[in-house]
Amino acid sequence: MSTILSIHNLSKIYHKGKVEIPAVKEVSFEVTQGSYLSIVGKSGSGKSTLLNLVGGLDRPTSGTIQFNGKELGKLNRYHLALHRRFGVGMIFQSFNLLPRRTALDNIILPLTFAGVPSRKRKQRATKLLEQVGLGGRTTHFPSELSGGEAQRVAIARALANEPKMILADEPTGNLDSSTANEIIQLLVSLNKDKGLTILMVTHDRETADAVSDSIITLKDGSII
Amino acid sequence: MNLQDMTIMGFSNLWHTRLRSTLTILGVVIGIGALTSMVSFGTGMQKNLTDAFTKNDLFTSMNVTPKDLNVDEMMSGDLSGIGKMLDEKPKPLTDSILEAIREMEGVQLAFPDESFAGKLQFNDNEVSKNMQPIPAAASAFYPYNDLLAGELYPHDSSQSVVIKWETLRDLGLIVEYPDLDYTLSRKDSLKGTRIVSPDSVIGRKITLITAELNIPSNPLGILMGDDFDPFEETSREYTICGITRPRDEFTFDRSRSALVIPPVTARKIPRLSFSSVWDILGEGKEEGTYSSIYVRVAEMEVLTPVREKIEAMGVGVFALADELDEIKRAFLIMDSLLGAIGTIALIIAALGIINTMLMSILERTREIGVMKAVGGSENEIKFIFFVEAACIGLVGAVFGLLLGWVVTRIANQVMNTMVLPDNQGPVDLFYFPLWLILGAIGFSVVVSLAAGLYPAIRAARIDPVRALRHD
Repeated sequence: MSTILSIHNLSKIYHKGKVEIPAVKEVSFEVTQGSYLSIVGKSGSGKSTLLNLVGGLDRPTSGTIQFNGKELGKLNRYHLALHRRFGVGMIFQSFNLLPRRTALDNIILPLTFAGVPSRKRKQRATKLLEQVGLGGRTTHFPSELSGGEAQRVAIARALANEPKMILADEPTGNLDSSTANEIIQLLVSLNKDKGLTILMVTHDRETADAVSDSIITLKDGSII
Repeated sequence: MNLQDMTIMGFSNLWHTRLRSTLTILGVVIGIGALTSMVSFGTGMQKNLTDAFTKNDLFTSMNVTPKDLNVDEMMSGDLSGIGKMLDEKPKPLTDSILEAIREMEGVQLAFPDESFAGKLQFNDNEVSKNMQPIPAAASAFYPYNDLLAGELYPHDSSQSVVIKWETLRDLGLIVEYPDLDYTLSRKDSLKGTRIVSPDSVIGRKITLITAELNIPSNPLGILMGDDFDPFEETSREYTICGITRPRDEFTFDRSRSALVIPPVTARKIPRLSFSSVWDILGEGKEEGTYSSIYVRVAEMEVLTPVREKIEAMGVGVFALADELDEIKRAFLIMDSLLGAIGTIALIIAALGIINTMLMSILERTREIGVMKAVGGSENEIKFIFFVEAACIGLVGAVFGLLLGWVVTRIANQVMNTMVLPDNQGPVDLFYFPLWLILGAIGFSVVVSLAAGLYPAIRAARIDPVRALRHD
């Protein structure tokens, strides 16, 4: 199996006035294609920061992130946007759906940025909604969906541009345990059936143990 | 993301915040409304003036005078210049000069510009007025090519005359015409004024009474108390063959004469004029000399060459067209001032746009974060906000023009009914040329885009990590 993500000596330091706050310290690890990796740690351990760095939402202070042969730290702003658009699909604890758009239109958004023609966008978004089990929810707004349904829409949106990797930041944090389990099962099936690489951040070690191929534990920004 | 998608996204953002968008657009509407109505007033005045110049043939006509009055020299206080002028014997405008002018290339019409006083009797009324001899050849030119009724007499010794609309009014007759909505006032009816059709005037006889000095055969007789009238009156009848159109604010009435009469006919009328007073005082005036000659050329372009040729003969020329450049410069200054006032309104509107868009970015921080997270690039996000700004500018300009138009229509109506005299046709005080309409739209969009520049850059630079944590 080939390596899709290779992180070497990665550090991220935030500045608050003159005080330096290290969020990630000298982290190195590799992710092979098609694996399910979980990053576990308490809140403030730097796991979300790590995910944002891989997702191209943030830039490292030092170290390298090799994603699919590209060094993310060296990409310009436009190419970093392309990495977010085509390279990865992100899922958040709070879903981050646009409240004024329907479920279908939320999935269409990344397709629009990708320049997919209007008719194809609709076809593909409808298909993705069916794939996550929400075929009848196309015209619903996020406020009309349950937490589980909203997260399914978010997963469908993350899949829209056929990314190489799904980055899930506490995907079950806002859900009750049975719904959380459904979402985890959906991610597992994407991993097993479609061969998608999944990088999941969670504080729930039990779930991580149950589904992951490997687990990284972070404490104060370092792997332990 | 293609242009169309970004445009749709910008529009839908405006639509989601309808009330706020509408209020922001309203600011632009008022700004553009103020700007366009101000400038349209300036252009309206300029157009009226230029049209009046064209309509009254001022671009193609001039007056030849016996001597060039050098006003600059007189004003400069150079007394020697005045002395020189007084020393110079005025070059008289003789028949030979008139003939020479008529022969010049490009000259269509040249005739002595003179008038004489007399009394007109018509419709049991009598008024004292000035009469002007005009050759029949003038029938091809304004205003004799466009009479209210009838036409100019066919030849210079005809026994017909053209009467001015205003003269008939002074004689107690209002000649009706389509543009005039004249209702008789109490004052009118007390004076016996009536509204009549043009046909009832054409063909009727009008009496012209002129006077000349009666030189007594025996001057001593006056001293002896003889019954002696120093003026001898002559009364003649002519047929009215035409009525001119009523004057409006922008008609330049060269002669202010009440009656137009064929020149050969006029010459036979014994009359008292200033020249004959000079005759009496013994100055002696050569036969066939004139105080002024009116010259009309075929087109604007030949005015200057013809003028130079006439001046070469040693006589003076006055053309109103010379003043137009000065007037145009004055209008440019006025337009700029009016435009500046309107622009201030638009700048205030631009501040409104900046404010609205910054608010909207603050409100949509999370949304912008999501857009970035799913792969929106900075330029695409910038463009979405530019579309919003441009849309505000465009919609604001269209409705602003509409507002400006409505306001100027109302102002025009008020001016026409309450300020301008009502015995004339309506005047358009405001004018919206195509350049003003397109310019206003362009200006509004450019100002709006400039206002949207900073907010758009700010939106594009939002840190997605923070934005996604934002509530």
